[in-house]
Amino acid sequence: MTINPKAVLAAAIVLLAGTLPTTGLALEQLDAPETVTIDAISKLYGPVEFSHKRHSQLARCKDCHHHTTGQQDMDPNCIRCHANSPEKMVVSCKDCHTKKMFYPEQVTATDNPNLYHIDKPGIKGAYHLNCIPCHVKKNAPSGCEGCHAMTDAGKKMFRTDVKGKAEGAKHHE
Amino acid sequence: MKTLINRRKFLQGGIAASAAATVSLAKKSQAAHFEGYPDSMGVLVDLSRCVGCRSCEAACNQEQNLPTPEKPFNDFSVFDEMHHGQKRRTDETAYTVVNRYDVPGMDHPLFRKIQCNHCQEPACLTSCFVNAYTKTPEGAVIYNADVCVGCRTCMVACPFYIPTFRYSSAFHPRIMKCIFCYDTRLSKGKPPACVEACPQEALTFGRRNDVLNMGRQRIRENPDKYEDHIYGEHEAGGTAWMYISPAPFDKVGMDTTVPKEPILNFVKDFLAIVPMVLTIWPALFTGIHLLATRKDKLEQSKKTEGEV
Amino acid sequence: MFTFSQNKQEVPIVSHHNPDGNQWTIKEKLWLGLSPDEYKSQMLRNPVNWALFVIFAVGLPILLQRYFFGLDTVTHASNDYPWGLFLGFGLFGMVPLSASGFLLGTTVEIFGRKDFVPIERLALLNGLLGYFFAVVYLEVDLGMPWRLYYPMFVSLGPAAVLFLVAWHVATYLSVQVAEVSSAFFEWIGWLKGKRFIKSIAIGLTVSGIILSTLHQGALGALFTYAPSKVHPLWLSANFQWIHFFCSAIFAGLSMVIVASTLCKHFMTWRCDRRFLDNVDRCTIGLGKGCAYALITYLVIKLVGIAHDNEWAYLLTGWGQYFMLEMALAVLLPMFLFAYGVKHNMVGMVRFAALISVLGVVWNRLNTALICFNWKLYQEIPHWKEVWITIMIFALYFITYRFILYRLPILYEWEGEK
Repeated sequence: MTINPKAVLAAAIVLLAGTLPTTGLALEQLDAPETVTIDAISKLYGPVEFSHKRHSQLARCKDCHHHTTGQQDMDPNCIRCHANSPEKMVVSCKDCHTKKMFYPEQVTATDNPNLYHIDKPGIKGAYHLNCIPCHVKKNAPSGCEGCHAMTDAGKKMFRTDVKGKAEGAKHHE
Repeated sequence: MKTLINRRKFLQGGIAASAAATVSLAKKSQAAHFEGYPDSMGVLVDLSRCVGCRSCEAACNQEQNLPTPEKPFNDFSVFDEMHHGQKRRTDETAYTVVNRYDVPGMDHPLFRKIQCNHCQEPACLTSCFVNAYTKTPEGAVIYNADVCVGCRTCMVACPFYIPTFRYSSAFHPRIMKCIFCYDTRLSKGKPPACVEACPQEALTFGRRNDVLNMGRQRIRENPDKYEDHIYGEHEAGGTAWMYISPAPFDKVGMDTTVPKEPILNFVKDFLAIVPMVLTIWPALFTGIHLLATRKDKLEQSKKTEGEV
Repeated sequence: MFTFSQNKQEVPIVSHHNPDGNQWTIKEKLWLGLSPDEYKSQMLRNPVNWALFVIFAVGLPILLQRYFFGLDTVTHASNDYPWGLFLGFGLFGMVPLSASGFLLGTTVEIFGRKDFVPIERLALLNGLLGYFFAVVYLEVDLGMPWRLYYPMFVSLGPAAVLFLVAWHVATYLSVQVAEVSSAFFEWIGWLKGKRFIKSIAIGLTVSGIILSTLHQGALGALFTYAPSKVHPLWLSANFQWIHFFCSAIFAGLSMVIVASTLCKHFMTWRCDRRFLDNVDRCTIGLGKGCAYALITYLVIKLVGIAHDNEWAYLLTGWGQYFMLEMALAVLLPMFLFAYGVKHNMVGMVRFAALISVLGVVWNRLNTALICFNWKLYQEIPHWKEVWITIMIFALYFITYRFILYRLPILYEWEGEK
């Protein structure tokens, strides 16, 4: 596996900022941070104070971190290659899932004929795709503003100034 | 002698006309083998991912400077709107809309975004008699309002009911339709605004071939989750925007009767007769004329001979 | 007009010379030899004009509304039904009814059937005006009517069917203007022009045939762009152009029969003996042509269904509606024409012609509007759209009448021709 130097740099910054565990390889639940501030984009919606501690009690590591924590993912698609994957140097979401998505560098990534994960979501997609189904299942908030408040830029884009707004954003429970 | 001259004049005209027709047909046959630009872009819409947040609609409205909507984009009562018994569609204020579908047997609704599918061989483009449409190498089907006369044939031709007309303007009417954010984003290598806004990555942007492969991979790896069909791979001759869905496509409001070949193919039968009529008719009817009036001519020439 | 002949006993203008032996001026010819007061009083006496007045009194403001405030103020501005009555009736209906010009032109000039000469000019005029008003309807419907010439000179899309329609209708209009202009040249007394037209008559007629074949067919082919929208019974990709072309044959002939009947009854003063003595015989002849065209049409309609294997559709509601159309608009006139021709019953032929005219318009409305989007919903036109459509037709009627009153269409010009 090649490691993107940028990702390493980003990881380093994150590590320095102290939002991620400072330990190396031996990742235990205890080593995990209590909270993670998810603010990679926070343009239309504000950052999320994510209680990692609380979520780690509700789900297994691999539910979010795939095979990277050393916990084996039993998904038949994954175990084809990752049946015995050891834990990785980096486990933070943003180390693999890029903030920028669908720009030429990501689009042309498929030029690499050895790349299997041609369909890896960006950071925003990774969060939402992973969080929402679980939130729905566990009756946690699943509307947009249930997790993050809309910023002024978001209000502008969503035209919340327009009258005629019915009830809130509770269209899918 | 007189008729001869007329005939000759007339044949010349016929030849010029048929030459013009041949030129136009040459273009056609070229189009018949057109399989799209090699590195053109596309979007894979995954209906299993869409949660109906309408961010794409909001982003589109902002990016394209579209008119203020009737309701804000975080108002989800729009999903209950019905017009003539139909769910919402694109109109002169919206290039894209999301609709909700309650699929029988599914415990949650599905949401489907519609916008221009940016066909490989667009029906709007091939039906336009002023060349107002262009399929760019990037894959977008763009529109030039400066030459459009407002005949709305493109709207008739589009099998997806996408182009709309700005009926509300007396002096600046035009077709209103998704252009893949061509001017502001696609041509600069950026994904369209709706794709960037989508929190779920229900919209995956990339080269058409790549996103097609991604679609195939998703279906292959999750055969229980998806219908084994990529809508748009062949529909209308192939489209840049394609859909995969956990439910049968006709249950999420998609027309499964759209032909699996370019719409233009249905028109070719007629186009083929054009040069035939242009070349055969003149000869045929002048011939008939000469035959039909032969008697009169003979009598006339007899008469003149008698006089001499 | 009977009111006219009651008012003015002497024969209306049929030559360059007035009863005093002087030349009529163009102005006098335009006033039909009446003083403005006399003209006005005969006009006001005609109840038809009052009806026309009402149509225009309501319609003109609506038309202005359309041009100053947008199409959406007079129509439903439907994105699902981009084409409404203006094109459904005005273009797709008027054009087949105007096939008369090329049909009679062919009969007389190409086939040498001089026995149809008495109604040839009526047929030519019918063709010219039908096409002209189809363009007028188009000008009401187009989003940017001021760009009508764009497909010709500004931005060309030669691979489109509509491009063919545009060019062919435009050139055919000029051909028809040329064909009808010989009557105009007689009337203004410019013989050189008339002789020139006569010298190119064959060329004009043959180009008329080509252009008509192609654009009558092209109007049908326009719907092949919507294979998933038009109901399959009204759309056959392979045969659509033949269906439209073939139905235009009986439509055009029937329209001449209808027009000549109206002239015979309501414009007797303007017809000369040649027209009046021959119109019944010509009607029978045209009726025969209609019967043949109708049976051909019926056969190719069935071939179309068989080719696409659409028999199952006949059992649905749409199929019953289709069979109703076939029965009323094809079979009924076909039998009436055949019976009327065989037993020399002119009245029946005329009735059949009226049915077949309405039948063709019905077919075009079915294709363009009623059976279009058959899977969606039914669009019912806005009343203002209906009114404008009627008003343009009234304008067509007035223009038609204005020309018939004056030019030597129903009568032969006396004196040098």
